[in-house]
Amino acid sequence: MSSLVGFLCLVFAVGINIFLIFSKYLLKLKIVSFNILIRLSCILTLASFLSLIYAYLVSDFSNFNVFQNSHSDKPLIYKISGTWGNHEGSMLLWVSILSIYAFFFSFTKKIDLNLKKLTLLIQSFLHISFSLFIIFTSNPFLINSVIVHEGLGLNPILQDPGLAIHPPILYAGYVGYSIVFSLAVASLMHESNDLEWLSIAKKWSLISWTFLTGGIALGSYWAYYELGWGGWWFWDPVENISLMPWITGLALVHSLLLVKGQQILKKWIIFLSILCFSLSIFGTFLVRSGILTSVHSFAADASRGLFILLIFFIITGFSLVVFLLKFPDNNKPVKFLFINKVSALIINNILMIIATLTILLGTIYPIIIEVLTNNRISVGGPYFNSTVIPIMIPGFLLMSIAPVLSWQTNKIKNSYYYIICFILISVIILIQSYLTEFNSWGVIGLILGVWIIIASISAIILSYKLKLNFKFLQNINPHLAHIGVGIAIIGITCSSVFQKEYDYNLNTGDNFIVNEINVVLDKIETKNEKNFQALRANFLIQEENSFKNVKSGKNYYPVSKMITSEAGILHQWDRDIYFILGDQKDEKWFVKVYVNPFVSLIWLGIIIMICCGFIGVIRK
Amino acid sequence: MILNHYFKYFLLLFISLFLFYFEALANDNLDNKVKSLTLELRCMTCQNQSIYDSDAEFSNDIKKIVKKKFEEGKSEYEIKQFLVERYGEYILFKPLFNFKNLFLWAFPFILLAIGLFFLIFLNRKNKVS
Repeated sequence: MSSLVGFLCLVFAVGINIFLIFSKYLLKLKIVSFNILIRLSCILTLASFLSLIYAYLVSDFSNFNVFQNSHSDKPLIYKISGTWGNHEGSMLLWVSILSIYAFFFSFTKKIDLNLKKLTLLIQSFLHISFSLFIIFTSNPFLINSVIVHEGLGLNPILQDPGLAIHPPILYAGYVGYSIVFSLAVASLMHESNDLEWLSIAKKWSLISWTFLTGGIALGSYWAYYELGWGGWWFWDPVENISLMPWITGLALVHSLLLVKGQQILKKWIIFLSILCFSLSIFGTFLVRSGILTSVHSFAADASRGLFILLIFFIITGFSLVVFLLKFPDNNKPVKFLFINKVSALIINNILMIIATLTILLGTIYPIIIEVLTNNRISVGGPYFNSTVIPIMIPGFLLMSIAPVLSWQTNKIKNSYYYIICFILISVIILIQSYLTEFNSWGVIGLILGVWIIIASISAIILSYKLKLNFKFLQNINPHLAHIGVGIAIIGITCSSVFQKEYDYNLNTGDNFIVNEINVVLDKIETKNEKNFQALRANFLIQEENSFKNVKSGKNYYPVSKMITSEAGILHQWDRDIYFILGDQKDEKWFVKVYVNPFVSLIWLGIIIMICCGFIGVIRK
Repeated sequence: MILNHYFKYFLLLFISLFLFYFEALANDNLDNKVKSLTLELRCMTCQNQSIYDSDAEFSNDIKKIVKKKFEEGKSEYEIKQFLVERYGEYILFKPLFNFKNLFLWAFPFILLAIGLFFLIFLNRKNKVS
């Protein structure tokens, strides 16, 4: 029953959107009724999505999608998150978020009404394309042809609180760029010269970027404690796919800042808006078509891939054609000096685009080579580390001073202070690293991170009067965001370069010493949980006079016959001690221990960036 | 102002060159060599994990082979060649620098050059106007 309701709601929502597009030519709708129809289509799409959630909640196995991806034993939260833990449901989530964005956008004031209509029409077109994709190739409302009383279960690796909320947040980021895209294309088609839409685009691109940051962070945090590989970023194709719109979106947010300096690179902004959303769709294509080898194992189906590829070509092709035909003129020349705020932003934009395109090429290169020469090659972490990171380093350097640069001249206030500061930091870190453990990437990362933090703090102190109100917070927001980046860079550098690992073969009761801390493998026990069996090793960690317990082990999910590893992590502010329980051999357990210094700084930095993103969205 | 702000970029460049020189000297013991090589190899039986990080049987075998070959005095390049012959190029996370992969490796530099030209162009245009 709920399947039928959901399917009909989706079809009606598509109907409304088709009607909206035709109404442009047939009858002149007033903006009020236009808005109401957009909101109605959003409510219908949500109703469709909610009815799918309902089917999952009550374990309605007459729905084929529920039967394939759910199990009545699952805890409540995973019944809900199971809705988007599969291809069909996650595409419905995609469309639902798309319509939610259109819903909120329809409340925008201070915008030319025709521009708004046009934007919403493009949004409707996107809604139709993806809804048709769902209806024809990945319908989550198909009826199960046989009567069953139990489902096949959700992939255990997805049964995790972090991963339950990861897709909605990530999609909120991807799909949010659709509004910016529609606005940019609409402004091209509308051929108006007013620039109000830029500040609206800025708001929406910041919102999407913030969500995307949150989504990626959740994903990598999940990878950190669930995969049990000791790291949190693996240059996995799907990670790269999320990184591309993220970097492009970051470039977009920064180039929209140029509007504030009265110097507008309209062409560039429109191009970035198109690129951002196209990368989101292209990413969807790469993941959904299953042509990538990745941790994210989704069902592969050629017809789905072709359909999305078609959507991708229509949308990107259409927008690029509009872009070329109605190429906006840049009336005002930019004030480009070496080095002022404008040039710093332009250089940073260029670097970000180079990084994005390099990641894109590296991700699809194995596919190209396989098609052309029938050879399989891999392009993995080492390639990206040795290309993308060096490209980004000058960008990070620029970032540290960018907010204090001036719009008009190439003089920096207090430049002597900054130079002396930089040299001092470099010397101190160099000496410190020679005395402890030397690694050139470590030194570069530490200098960059510390320099960004100190330069940003100095800039705040030197250029603003300290006041405790929200206005002050908004003024120093860019600096704060950069401090967040600096903190994250330190965390990334320390945890990857100075990571230590130890292997042990232990009997229960054995003790070992990690980084001057005494650890005992206390006991190994098995437990039966609701839908899995847990094998847990309990590590007793002795610190001065207190004991701490860390449990690490494996889960066995009988429904899907899969084993997942559960890393045990002792979080301390300056390091994580990361335990992985291996296999048992000759009565002894293999235990792997990583000591990851300053991992917490990565999450702290990202949280600061996300907060700054939200502060930036709030209107001054 | 002699000490203008370009200075620190040169300084950084200088420092980094200096550091890489030292690192080349420091990183010479067997375990480090095995680690840095196996980090660049794909575990063929796992999902996107390097041989160094993986504890699969396949990875442990390759680790032993790499160590043995290093002890025999083989160079990193020779070991990679050996593994590629045996398992195909798929095993290398960092693709070989050959004709097929020329575009992959040249691409970032091409983009950098285009970016640089664009900046020079922008600068020129500004001076003219």
